[in-house]
This record gives sequence, C-alpha cells and structure tokens, in this order.
Amino acid sequence: MIHMKDVSKVYENGTVALDHVNVDIKKGEFVFVVGASGAGKSTFIKMLLREELPTSGDIVVNGFDIVHMKHEAVPYLRRGLGVIFQDYRLLPDKTVFENVAFAMQVIEAPRRLMQRSVNAVLDIVGLREKYKDFPSQLSGGEQQRVAIARAIVNDPAIVIADEPTGNLDPETSWGIMDIFQRINQSGTTIVMATHDKTIVDTMQRRVIAIENGSIVRDEAQGVYGYEA
Amino acid sequence: MKLRTAEYFITEVAHSLKRNNWMSIASIGTVAVSLFVFGVFMILVVNVNRMADMLESQVQISVYLEDGVKTADKDALEADIRKMQGIESVKYVDKDEAKARLSERLGDQKYLLDALGGQNPLPDSFEITVTEPSLVETAAQAISRYDGVESVKYGQDVVQHLFDITRLMRIFGVALMLLLAGATIFIISNTIRLTVFARRKEIAIMKYVGATDWFIRWPFLLEGVVLGCIGGVLAALALRSFYAAMAAKIYSTLAFFPLMPQYPFMHIATVCILLSGMVIGAIGSTISLKRFLKV
Repeated sequence: MIHMKDVSKVYENGTVALDHVNVDIKKGEFVFVVGASGAGKSTFIKMLLREELPTSGDIVVNGFDIVHMKHEAVPYLRRGLGVIFQDYRLLPDKTVFENVAFAMQVIEAPRRLMQRSVNAVLDIVGLREKYKDFPSQLSGGEQQRVAIARAIVNDPAIVIADEPTGNLDPETSWGIMDIFQRINQSGTTIVMATHDKTIVDTMQRRVIAIENGSIVRDEAQGVYGYEA
Repeated sequence: MKLRTAEYFITEVAHSLKRNNWMSIASIGTVAVSLFVFGVFMILVVNVNRMADMLESQVQISVYLEDGVKTADKDALEADIRKMQGIESVKYVDKDEAKARLSERLGDQKYLLDALGGQNPLPDSFEITVTEPSLVETAAQAISRYDGVESVKYGQDVVQHLFDITRLMRIFGVALMLLLAGATIFIISNTIRLTVFARRKEIAIMKYVGATDWFIRWPFLLEGVVLGCIGGVLAALALRSFYAAMAAKIYSTLAFFPLMPQYPFMHIATVCILLSGMVIGAIGSTISLKRFLKV
C-alpha cells in the first residue's frame, strides 16, 4: 500500500528532513509514526500526500508513483487518501452535513450517493443528530469527528492523520482512537503521526520511530519508547 | 461539466460577489468606465472615418489647363478623360466662367477684381468627379501627365487632414484603452485575489480531498468574467443612450452630418463591449490565479 525506498529529503536551506528512509506498509495495517517535533514526521506525511517531493528515492502510495506521476494525476492520488489534521480544518460557514458532503461535491460524486454516504459516515463517528450544527457549536472532539467523517466519506484506501488528538483531552482522544480502530477493522490502512505516548503504548500497534530524519525503530507491536 | 457542479460554481460566484461587495462594485465600475470610454472612441473613429470617406467620394478633381491650348486638343483631352476608369462626370469651365464664379464668391469684395483691369488671369479647367473615392488620387495623377495640363488639384489636403485626425484618434484611443484595460485588469485581479484569500481554507481542503485544479479554478475565473460582463452591460447601456442623444442633437442642428446610423452599428458595438468586458475579466482572474492560487 505504501512503499518508500531510500527516500531522502533535503530542504533548500540544507536541513536534512529525511535520510535514506525505507518503509513498507501493507494494506489494513495501523501504523503510528512517532518522534519529537522536527524529527521528520511531517515531511514523512507530506511525501505520502505529494505535498512535497523527495530529493531522492522512490515512493509508491496506493499504486501511484509519487515521484514520476504527472501533476494532473495528483487529485486522483488524493481521492484514495483520507487526511485528518490536528486543527480539524472545517469550514465554519458550513454545517456538519455540508462539511462532510463538501468532500464529495468537489470530486463531483453523484448526488444520489451523497445523502446516503454522508449519513453513513456521520453514523460511524456518532454525529448523525448534529448534522445541522455549525462547527462553532461543537466541542473539539466533535469537530475532529466531523473531520474524520469527511476524510472517510469517499471511502479512501488509506487514512493519514497528522496529530489528530493533539488538541484534545485524553478522554476525547480515546473516543477518536476508537473510531480509527473501527475504520481500520473495515480494512482501511491507517497512518497516524502522534506525540501521544499513552495512546501508542496502549494500542500495541506497529510503531515507526523517526529521529533526525532516520527511522530508528520499526516494531510490529511497539511502544512510544521515550518520554514525550 | 455536471449540472450539479455548474450549480455549485454559480452559488460560489454569487457568494463571493456578495462577500467582496465593495471590491466587486469597484471592479464593475472600472470595467464600465473603461469600456464606455472605449465605446466613445469607437464611435468617434467610426464616424470621422465615415465622414472622411464621404468627403473623399465627393471630392472633385480640378484640372487646370495651360494658356493657349487649342480647342481641338481640349476636346481630345476631355474625350480621353471620359474614357478613363471610374469617371463620373467631366465639366468644362472656361476662364470667363471661372472669373464669374470668383466674383460671385468674393461678393462684397468683388472690387478686388477691378485691380486686374480687363485681364483674366484664371485658366480654363475641367471639373471631374469620380465614382469611387479610392480612384481620386490615381485619376488625378493620370490626368496630370497629359500635355496641356498645367496642374491638377483635388481636396487632398482636407481628406488628408481628416485621415490624419482619425489616425491620431485611433492611436490616442488605443493608448488610452490599453491604459484603462491595464487598470481594469489590475483591479479585477485584486478582487479575485481577495476571493482567493477569503477562500484559502476551502481551497486547501479541496486539494486534500482531491478536487482537480480546474474544479478549483473555475469559480474564480467565472467571477472575473461575471464582473467584466456586468461592467460591459452597464457600459453598453450608457453608450447606447449616449449615441441616441448625440444623434438626436446632431440631426436637429447639423442635418447634413453623415452620422453612422444607430443600427446595426450600436448592436455591433454592444457585442464588442460585452466581449471585451468578459475577456478583460478572464485575464484579470487568470493573473490572480497564476500568482495566488498554487494548485
């Protein structure tokens, strides 16, 4: 599903963000990417979304050759990826339903699918009754759940989450992780960058630890490994 | 494009026109003023051109003969001229008639002619009209080569002046238009830039969920075109009433003035103005999209 071979990224100012990284993530895996701020986690995520290109090496994500693909194909790569951010990134002037439906609208999904798919994902995240609310009327956890619903409404093969619980209290975070588990159980691959030691240690999933741009540890059932 | 998508684009455009209402009004106003000025120049150039054309077609060629040309030679010359292409009429004016005309034209000052005594310094001449304005010059040149012709005159100065004026007006009009178009494009691109800025979050999300570049660009492009089009409509309406008022005024005071008939001229002008408005709008938003929308 995700294949990185000898990937390096050196920014123009000389910073080495990734240094000869090799990773293979299979379909249906649940992977934590851990490491201190500036270790290279964000660059790792950006490469998967093709927000940035590696300086050298090869990346294949969901069948797309990230390095050699045409710019025009990027939207189609992203349609297979669901992205979730620490700051939710909802549109404040749209309701919960509209925020989720927006993801279908912009890829010109058929209208008859929209109602059904949006309701289905709102059920998964438990916000079906709040479909008329605006983001400002929701708690942080609820907003993140809307963002998750939006990320999965187009049925992506891979969900990529960058610090999804970073702004949430522990209890709310567990609610979010519970949703991720369920999404993962349905066969969706999940890659989650996080700082949250408790979550990583409790979940007992694969952990890829990045330090100074290198993978220092890759364990099938890992723990965070050091103090966050 | 799907109907649903078109619907989405239209609502987006309506939203941002409302959201940036002052900028939108400013853009529409600039487009309208620029296109109106453009239209006024178009009217001026077209009409002065038409006037020059008409004058040129009415221009007569005066062929002055040398003194002492025999009557037979004059008749032969007249026959030759009549055989030339595009000659409408040839009239012989002898020196006595020329003097009579001059004295008539002098009116109260005809005593000036008394100074000549009994002499008549005026030459015999032919007055020639042609069927096509473009033939005047060639005909005049051809005639001037005949023996016995002293000089050939036609209203080249007047016509030349008129054409010079049109050319100047055209150059000035084009320069002014370019300036106004530049200003208009600038203000439209700024308006679109505001829209891009207001919607930057939305654009980022669109990119993440896999909207194509063109899906993202269309609403902005459309917004520019709509701004240009509304400005164009206003300019066209203003221009139509301006021309109607001007025509009424001119017909009542200067009845002989060869004004371009309102229709279909004004219809053509309206189409030109609307198209220019839309093109200017599209250029304005394209500039903004290139610079501010990294898709």
